[in-house]
Amino acid sequence: MLRLNSVFGGLGLGLMGFYLGMAVAALLRWAFGYPEVWERDLNVSVGYCFGLIGWLMGVGMWGRWGREWFGLKTYPSPTKGWARYFTFNTDHKVIGIQYGVTFLIVFLLAGSLAMLIRAELAVNELQFFSKAQYNSLMSMHGILMVAVAVASVIGALGNYVVPLMIGAEDMAFPRLNALTFWLVPPTAVMLLATPFVGGLETGWTAYPPLSVVTQTGQTFFNLAIITFGLTSILGALNFIVTIIYMRAPGLTWGRLPVFVWAMFVTSWLALLYTQGFAVALLMVTLDRVGGMSFFDAANGGDPLLYQHVFWFYSHPAVYIMVIPGFGIALEVIAHFSRKPFYAYRYAVGAFMGILGLSGIVWAHHMFTSGMPNYLHGPFLMMTEAISIPTGLIFLCALGTIWMGRLWLTTPMLFAIAVIFNFACGGVTGIFLADVPTDIHLHDTYFVVAHFHYTIVGGEIFGLFAGLYYWFPKMTGRMYNERLAKLHFWWMFIGFNITFFVMHWPGIQGMNRRIADYPEAYQPVNLAVSLSAFLLGASFLVFFYNMINSWIRGPIAEANPWHARTLEWQTSSPPPLENFSSPPRVTGNPYDYGLPKPPHATFPQVAPAPAGGGGGGGGGGG
Amino acid sequence: MAVHAPAEHAAHHNPLVLNRVGLWLFFFSESVIFGLLLSSRFFLEGIHQDHVDQVLGLVITIVLLLSSVTAFTAETAMEKGNSKLCSQMLLLTILLGIIFAGGVAYEWKTAHFTREEVFGTVFFTMTGIHASHVVSGIVFLAMAWNIARKGRFTSKSHWGISGTVMYWHFVDVVWVFFYPALYLVDS
Amino acid sequence: MSRHVISAVLLWVVLTAVGEATVFLDWFPTVGSHEAEDFDEIFLILVAMGTPVFAFVIAVIAYAVLNFRSKGPEETGATFLGVGTGPRVWVGITSALALLVMIYPGMTGLAALSKERTGNGWGEYDAELVVHATGYQWFWQFEYPESGVKVQGAGNELVLPVDTVIRFDVDAADVIHSFWIPAFRLKIDALPGRTTFMTVKPTELGSYNEDAAYRIQCAELCGLDHSGMLFPVKVVSQDEFKEWVNSQTAAAKGQ
Ligand code: HEA
Ligand code: HEA
Ligand code: CUA
Ligand SMILES: [Cu+2]
Repeated sequence: MLRLNSVFGGLGLGLMGFYLGMAVAALLRWAFGYPEVWERDLNVSVGYCFGLIGWLMGVGMWGRWGREWFGLKTYPSPTKGWARYFTFNTDHKVIGIQYGVTFLIVFLLAGSLAMLIRAELAVNELQFFSKAQYNSLMSMHGILMVAVAVASVIGALGNYVVPLMIGAEDMAFPRLNALTFWLVPPTAVMLLATPFVGGLETGWTAYPPLSVVTQTGQTFFNLAIITFGLTSILGALNFIVTIIYMRAPGLTWGRLPVFVWAMFVTSWLALLYTQGFAVALLMVTLDRVGGMSFFDAANGGDPLLYQHVFWFYSHPAVYIMVIPGFGIALEVIAHFSRKPFYAYRYAVGAFMGILGLSGIVWAHHMFTSGMPNYLHGPFLMMTEAISIPTGLIFLCALGTIWMGRLWLTTPMLFAIAVIFNFACGGVTGIFLADVPTDIHLHDTYFVVAHFHYTIVGGEIFGLFAGLYYWFPKMTGRMYNERLAKLHFWWMFIGFNITFFVMHWPGIQGMNRRIADYPEAYQPVNLAVSLSAFLLGASFLVFFYNMINSWIRGPIAEANPWHARTLEWQTSSPPPLENFSSPPRVTGNPYDYGLPKPPHATFPQVAPAPAGGGGGGGGGGG
Repeated sequence: MAVHAPAEHAAHHNPLVLNRVGLWLFFFSESVIFGLLLSSRFFLEGIHQDHVDQVLGLVITIVLLLSSVTAFTAETAMEKGNSKLCSQMLLLTILLGIIFAGGVAYEWKTAHFTREEVFGTVFFTMTGIHASHVVSGIVFLAMAWNIARKGRFTSKSHWGISGTVMYWHFVDVVWVFFYPALYLVDS
Repeated sequence: MSRHVISAVLLWVVLTAVGEATVFLDWFPTVGSHEAEDFDEIFLILVAMGTPVFAFVIAVIAYAVLNFRSKGPEETGATFLGVGTGPRVWVGITSALALLVMIYPGMTGLAALSKERTGNGWGEYDAELVVHATGYQWFWQFEYPESGVKVQGAGNELVLPVDTVIRFDVDAADVIHSFWIPAFRLKIDALPGRTTFMTVKPTELGSYNEDAAYRIQCAELCGLDHSGMLFPVKVVSQDEFKEWVNSQTAAAKGQ
């Protein structure tokens, strides 16, 4: 028997839905008199939509939510035991862990693909893979990592910590929150299934006309990303409403921890731009399965349309990736410098400035695309301008560590590394933003080095800072500090050698996305590959430490870092309702060393307030 | 016990406000989709337009605008507690919605262009995606009507109707932008 | 000024000096054209300007990590809040940097490159020699419209005369490709259904046999054999070029 309301139920109903959908599509084609009943891409797409619904209902959305739409009674989610992680669960802490574990697995997979890439590129000519396999590897690495970068911090740490930090008992829409998580596994499955249906060969950017004429793998990619876009948007919506309306009394905008601000701004970016990717891929899908001509120049379409729509999302997306990283870095730096946050308002202003500017710089990815020349100047200037708000993050970070008493724990080391790495990644961004230099550097390994410095150096290092920082809160146990420090230095050194050296072949004229390169670039690629293996091996330490400490690490205190923010003022891990009594915020989160009131107090309210409390001071400031 | 059901928050946070703001954000987000489609239409075809049935276009536009009025009446009726008028008006709205969808289907069948041509591509995509919103709106309206018919809504608690009607207005507003872009603009 | 500030500034100056010294390193592949000189110059300006920024970040971090550490959460640091002049000065300096040092070389370089404001390509449209390049999955095909010479296929080279203003008209037959010659530092995408162009003036003799920078490299992912879509370039003297054209036309007639 199927056990409904769990992963098994989801798999069962999902598969049933998938076959049913394909059959329905075939039946309809037959009924409408099409000569071919079976059109793989089309039937698979319809099957996927049915399968997705089946999956969601099977994992428990039907029992916990759907029944209500038909006036039936819903069932509660389990609150104890490991089984609660494998079902549609509305507790934000469970969802945070679900996201975290899922994305660490995806990161491991995609990172292993990177190791295969580096193995192939270590020596010129083909050794391990065919060209088709290489293209698939490279595209999968790219898109899986982009998914990790876009959603891991928001999904795992955002979900777990934000409600705690604002003193709420959960997110504003707990069931929507669960839905956003359960849309992720189908995305991953579809992407991982692409090698069985012809592979991917268009990179993560999926430019048409190539993506229109390539194999069915592309359709899987499109469906996966459209689903993924949906989860981003719904998750973002949830965060925005939560942060506006669920803050504890007294937690004004000016007292909000900077990580919460980061999540707020990121959510706006995700809410406003993610559609670009979905619409772009929808058009590709329509060209592929619907016989339309968006990108078919012979019929009057235009391939450049795709690039505009795609980058309209994908530039803001890089800030969706990095702002959470900044948020964690600033948060961690503030607590471990034991000193008030430097220029708090400017940090918030910086996020706002990035939010405003990131929507009007997209064409800097298209300087050599053949778009009209008059567009270059404006996009060059807007792109350079975005370094001003981004630079403010540096002002705050550097100002906060200056004259502090730095407690150099692992999270702090990672946080400082974010600032260091991103300075390098940001400055190389300047080279790419200047059209005269980008014409040569576009599509070379210089770009690859730039974006690994920004994404890995900014966001992934931030993710690790956050994972170590909140590990005791999330698991109730302490990680091994010595192994963690070992991981840090190993990763930091491996990372910087690998990607710093990578600028060089780019300038010299080695382009990206190639399985094979002229012999001239041989020595430097070998060096890059070797240090990439060094970098890769560092994660063995990380995973060992995490798994081992989670199982048998020492029990963690409620507040091992002596931090002032709210999430540390409750037990580790927190109880189901987060706080045993509702918090009241009375001061700033970062006033270390100042004779100021604590961030929050917990007045013991005797009777439940009848309708009082209001919207948590919503809208103030 | 469903500890984290929204009802739990009711003590501190008015769920109606949360729902309303959430829905607005959803519209905000959806309008970006429609905005991108609209921009794509002008990007590809400039202000050129192929032959479309002007009379049909005008009629279905008026029908859809009317349906917004009936939807509005349904909501205000519910606020006054007039359950009967409300469900009648919901039914009328559904009917008008179906007429609109039928009009679009007719236009599709009789179109002078194919989906391989660029104007066809944008026309079918834009009307198609809009129509899918109309159809889902009709489904929501039907669900609301079903509950209203049984008298389960009250003048105090009828989020099911308010939410659906908001959605219907939104779909209507989108058409206000699509209609000129597809039917009226021409060089 | 406190001791800390002075020491950190010193560290910054030293790091900057070390960084600036890299300007004298040999960064680039062969300079094969006039446009390549512009690129190298702007690139080095950006290196020179980016170095102090990067060095500043490193200097502050390094100095702080070395001097302001503590073993636990007990001690607290200075309590300034960062309101007032500090941040304002920062905003002023970074804005000035962005405007003067980043945007200015970019815009002037751009002005030199995109002379045809409504066109889609680099340089001027007028040229002494026109070469038509078409990208296919996965090879290039070239045609010299004036002489009717066509070049394609293994064993061939794209022969170009030195010191001549050459315009490449680029398009594609199937999917997007990109036309890039590293020695010239210019690239432009090859789009189906649209012709883009780039005008370049080679200044050095050279050929792919000796120098990997002399190649046409497809720089836009175009499917299976994207990595193999490269074609050798050979820049020869103008006389040699004429001879080559004559031999090609003769060969074509002889067939
Ligand atoms: C987290 C991700 C992230 C971030 C934050 C950035 C940040 C920036 N990026 Fe990057 N970028 C990517 C990820 C990212 N990028 C990716 C993935 C691609 C490739 C996509 C693909 O093709 O696959 C890419 C590609 C890319 C291109 C296109 C290259 C090409 O294909 O030809 C360009 C061009 O302008 C660019 C520019 C910039 C700029 C100017 C910034 C700026 O935001 C940087 C600002 C920061 C600083 C400048 C440093 C700190 C500032 C100071 C210390 C203040 C003082 C300094 C000054 C005033 C200069 N990026
Ligand atoms: C979050 C984003 C992210 C991250 C973290 C990474 C991480 C890495 N990336 Fe990737 N990368 C991208 C995003 C990212 N990348 C994107 C978007 C592209 C563009 C794709 C495109 O062009 O479309 C790209 C492309 C890209 C290329 C260019 C491919 C090409 O153009 O042909 C290369 C080549 O070196 C590369 C290398 C690496 C390496 C070595 C790592 C390492 O940091 C990975 C380290 C992690 C692990 C290794 C995993 C865990 C460890 C183990 C399993 C231990 C055991 C393993 C060994 C010791 C072997 N990446
Ligand atoms: Cu042609 Cu890549
Ligand atoms: Cu960008």
